[in-house]
Amino acid sequence: MTLELQHAMKATPTADEAARGRFVSGIRSFILNDLAADLGHAYQTRAAPKFRAANGHDPKTSGDAHKALRGDPAFNIYSSMRVQAQKMVWASVSAGVERDAKRLAELEAQTAGQPGSVQLKPDFIPPRNASAVDVHLMPGSYTGGEGMAAGAVYDRGLAVFSMGLMGSNLDDIGLSMAAYIKRRYPEFAPTAMLDTGCTIGHNSLPWKHAYPEAKLTAIDVAAPGLRYGSTRAKLQGVEADFVQMASDELDFPDASFDLVFSSMFLHELPKKVRAKTIAEAYRVLRPGGLMLHMELPPNGQMAPFEAFYLDWDSYYNNEPYYKGYRDEDPKAVCESGGFGADDYFQFVVPSIGIYGDEAVTQAATSDAAHAVGAETTGRLAEGVMWFGFGAWKR
Amino acid sequence: MSEERQRPEDAPKGIYGPDGEPIFFAEPGVDRMMAVIMNLASELWVERERYLPLDSDRDAEAKAFIDRVFAPLRERKE
Repeated sequence: MTLELQHAMKATPTADEAARGRFVSGIRSFILNDLAADLGHAYQTRAAPKFRAANGHDPKTSGDAHKALRGDPAFNIYSSMRVQAQKMVWASVSAGVERDAKRLAELEAQTAGQPGSVQLKPDFIPPRNASAVDVHLMPGSYTGGEGMAAGAVYDRGLAVFSMGLMGSNLDDIGLSMAAYIKRRYPEFAPTAMLDTGCTIGHNSLPWKHAYPEAKLTAIDVAAPGLRYGSTRAKLQGVEADFVQMASDELDFPDASFDLVFSSMFLHELPKKVRAKTIAEAYRVLRPGGLMLHMELPPNGQMAPFEAFYLDWDSYYNNEPYYKGYRDEDPKAVCESGGFGADDYFQFVVPSIGIYGDEAVTQAATSDAAHAVGAETTGRLAEGVMWFGFGAWKR
Repeated sequence: MSEERQRPEDAPKGIYGPDGEPIFFAEPGVDRMMAVIMNLASELWVERERYLPLDSDRDAEAKAFIDRVFAPLRERKE
């Protein structure tokens, strides 16, 4: 399915560009549904038995599953095509972004006086995990290029990438998580919220919709996305302050926020930065405040094949810290950051866009959490569900 | 982008080529040929879409095209 974004900065593609985007979304769906099914079958019938014969035991870990699959024809086809499809995602939107540069700049100028802000720091040096690697195989990554272009490429590329599974404004994660928390903890009423890795704010804004009285601050290290995200928010009538800042060095006083959150962010951070990010979240939270991260489910709670299926991105999608993050126990990480063991919680929430409002309510009002090990948890394919974890500060 | 490449600490040896690109097939040229095939299929689809009726379901047409062109890669026939 081809997704047309629902905001004024959306692409204005030529007919050929629209067709190219449709093909890329379609081939990604073919890879992530059809070829993924072949991959799972090949693992069960060829790769795992072969591994067992060679090692005297079944694959026990994601790493074992990776070793088992390397060289298998189904793995080769799936992986080779998925890498190329990822490159085609960005290629399919880059010409349109270049052509639209003037219009996007005009939109930024037109909205300059509207509620909300963007604060960039000319002397800020983005960390190497964001600047020294083309994260997600996106050329120039998130920190490079002119003006807001990287933000626009990300937004439009994600629309192609998502196959319609991440919401009409790529905000399904934020919408699903915010709906879950609001229904699970109806007494929780934040007045100040911080997104610690917002890119273009697509999953930040749903929290402002959920808690309209709360002030929303969204930080990131990459200036293009912040500029783009601020304009994008203003054009949607959502007030938010976008600030260039690193999650592990928050320039906020202690006890500044009631909610500190992120979406698909922690797995892009080196281990030490990730640990400091959690500690900083604890520091800037007020007593009674909540830290919440939507993330990929931990490897320790998944079977080897399902674990490696997600870890694939670490090796082949330029996300070098992805597996290291997933090998960690999120509860232990929270405790290391200062949170109490009893104050940790985790959950799986159905995609609100796919399963609907009632399914989120059911998940939020029941203690029978969906199994993290479910095949659809964290996997961008038909039936996706989102994993989240968090901790309360006492 | 920097020449320095960041990789997972536990990346198995030999999964990247000298150019830093991942290698999957025993003959690395096959990975590049796969990319060429996908690019060609994409360009062919762009041409085909120009001639579709305006009221056609283009997403459905694209899916049928992809399923047909890439059917030989499927292991489990449906």
